[in-house]
Amino acid sequence: MTIVTRRNFVALSGASLLAASPLFAPRALGQGRPKLVVIGGGPGGGTVARYVAKDSAGAIDVTLIEPQKTYTTCFFSNIYVGGFRDYKSITHTYDKVRKSGVRVIHQAALAIDRDRKQVVLASGRRIPYDRLAVAPGIDIKFDSVPGYSEAASRTMPHAWKPGVQTRLLVRRLNALDDGATIVMVAPPNPYRCPPGPYERVSMFAHVLKKKGHKKSRIVVLDPKTTFSKQALFVEGWEKHYPGMVEWQDPQMHGGIKHVDARTGEIKTDLASYKATLANIIPAQMAGKIARDAGLADQSGFCPIDPENMKSKFDANVFVIGDACIPGDMPKSAFSANSQAKVAAAVIRAELANARAFPARYSNTCWSLIAPDDDVKVGGTYEPGDGKIKQVTAFVSQKGEAADVRRQNYKESVDWYAGIVADVFG
Amino acid sequence: MARGKLPASASALKSRPDVKAMAHSLSTAQAGVQKGRSAALGSAALALAIGAAEPAAAADIEFGRYLATECLTCHRNTVGGAIPNIFGMSATTFGEVVRAYRAQRLPNQVMQTIASRLKDDEIDALAAYFEVTKRP
Repeated sequence: MTIVTRRNFVALSGASLLAASPLFAPRALGQGRPKLVVIGGGPGGGTVARYVAKDSAGAIDVTLIEPQKTYTTCFFSNIYVGGFRDYKSITHTYDKVRKSGVRVIHQAALAIDRDRKQVVLASGRRIPYDRLAVAPGIDIKFDSVPGYSEAASRTMPHAWKPGVQTRLLVRRLNALDDGATIVMVAPPNPYRCPPGPYERVSMFAHVLKKKGHKKSRIVVLDPKTTFSKQALFVEGWEKHYPGMVEWQDPQMHGGIKHVDARTGEIKTDLASYKATLANIIPAQMAGKIARDAGLADQSGFCPIDPENMKSKFDANVFVIGDACIPGDMPKSAFSANSQAKVAAAVIRAELANARAFPARYSNTCWSLIAPDDDVKVGGTYEPGDGKIKQVTAFVSQKGEAADVRRQNYKESVDWYAGIVADVFG
Repeated sequence: MARGKLPASASALKSRPDVKAMAHSLSTAQAGVQKGRSAALGSAALALAIGAAEPAAAADIEFGRYLATECLTCHRNTVGGAIPNIFGMSATTFGEVVRAYRAQRLPNQVMQTIASRLKDDEIDALAAYFEVTKRP
């Protein structure tokens, strides 16, 4: 009988034993490299994963955790609602993300163990990280609208996260007969895609107009007193869909008192509407995993350092995209993509001694009001006054020539092709 | 950074096929700007000529590569039409066009806004990067 003591085990440990030992196998596979783990495969997560993998040329081990095998973009989903694109054209795979050198794990991330620097997967497996990028997008605050719930959203879709909800909304929209009443409850600030609800209203109106509706109407019940590109949308609605869209601010409706998914009734302080189609877009907050990990503040979103996109609560963790508090930037795919590039440069500098550069950000949001009538708003941003601060900005003007608006639409289509190539390869 | 000979007049700049292509694809024909374009490009060319008289410091391509990530959200060689591919563009043309946007001599709100915060050394760094880089 041979007794393997600690001493003779070490003595026995020749090269072959070392190589066979599970303890050393990972290093032999190159996993001794510094590790970036990314949670969420949208515009923020996809961009940071791909940029770090691509630009570090293998020096950093990059893992992306995303439960879905395909990603349907929320950006341009209104263009799908309006019938200008099909669903497939806004849905992307992770094949090219993998080709960029990113390991993609299609599982839900259950939790972040910040003390041990590990991400816990649904399977129980733990993925260690040196740096973590958290980009889970938003969660819907269902109870911010009285009477609304996740169950109610199957009848009254929010369609503010892409997928089944968006398809449901489109099915319902396309089935409407003349004389329909669409009621949208718009979200309070801050929310994903500031002009999005109003572009969606425009797309509803376009579909109804195209179907020849004369009596249908769209009522927007807004908790805000003003909204993004308001003058442009109002001008466009009057021009293209006269009498169809009625926007109400809180003074006009007095507040949303109750929505009833069973009857389609929406009660405000001053009136009651029977909606043929209700689109309820509640308040929003950072994705659950970010909140559970203690990365959010009382607002429900995650404060970041504007110099580098790091969480204010953990220097090893970056929060990118809709889940973060982006200062003057809007919550948009463009913003997420821009923030991810700043984070990627910082991660490469810290983990692979790459040269560091000052943070700078930019954003543009295009909105389609009617065929070939597209408006835009945008800006550039840099760290300042403790936040991401706007440096320069522009917005489309009322009464612009038709060819300007047509060119804007073409530009938005090219932008979409560009950004999805940037995010998904 | 290599600098080509600058065009002496607005018509020379306008007639250059590369500048023409940029102006065509990026023009949003804003009233006023459009009308005043030949005069506007004339002063742009003048401004450029003045700027080019200063000796150009060696362009920082690595900085350009970082700055270029901003451009890549829209400008990729996979698309065509409204947003042109800028990979492989000569540094001279790149510098002229971006400075023309910065001076609001070329019409496009996005490009004017992006260009408005770029300093000369940043434009040179970007120009040098795009000239030697063929694809994203």
